[in-house]
Amino acid sequence: MDFSTTFKICGAGLAAARARLDVVTSNLANVNTTKTEDGGPYKKKSVSLTSEPIEGKFNSVMADALKSVKVEAVTEDANAVKMTYEPGHPDANADGFVATPDINLMMEMANMITASRSFEANVTAFDATKNMALKTLEMGR
Amino acid sequence: MDQIGIGSGVKIPDALIEKTQPGDSPTRKFSDALRNAVDDVNKLQHAANKAVQNVQTDNAGSLHEAMIALEKADISFRTLLQVRNKAIEAYQEIMRLQV
Repeated sequence: MDFSTTFKICGAGLAAARARLDVVTSNLANVNTTKTEDGGPYKKKSVSLTSEPIEGKFNSVMADALKSVKVEAVTEDANAVKMTYEPGHPDANADGFVATPDINLMMEMANMITASRSFEANVTAFDATKNMALKTLEMGR
Repeated sequence: MDQIGIGSGVKIPDALIEKTQPGDSPTRKFSDALRNAVDDVNKLQHAANKAVQNVQTDNAGSLHEAMIALEKADISFRTLLQVRNKAIEAYQEIMRLQV
């Protein structure tokens, strides 16, 4: 397996971690959004990842085992709405209730930490691979 | 490297002699290989340049893709440098031969 294939997998992992972090950012920014283009409040979003075969030059054992990663879909949780009593709100209904996104800030913070840690892990894997390549060049000195 | 002809006279272990098939063209020169390597490294350098440009101008590319392109260019350049060092080393070794 050549180094550039490893770099490709690392890049896919970094992109996936970035996508997760982007969605968390979006959820955090819209924690109080009561109005969207589709009508209704903002719906909590989550990312699902899927593994993807990579093409490269390896022997048959590695070719089946190694998988890259990509974002499969960003899904909305349609049920993540809670009604809060706020009669003065412009979007309140006749009874004085406002539909607000049901986003758990603690959950989003936890997701943010795992996304950022997995990004760091991918960077570390990249650095390890790079150092391996540079060490290889020092052979025979 | 064929011109040196170390194969004549001295007995070299079979494992060290490059086996060429009858179909292979024996005309692949060291200079061609070197030129191809330089071209490849140059291509990677250009790709890295372009990735950095994309990040800085229109935010088209992602930062980590640019960094990966840069590291790839760096490693390929270092590899070429090592090949060059080995070639120079071999040349100097030959120049030191007593006549």
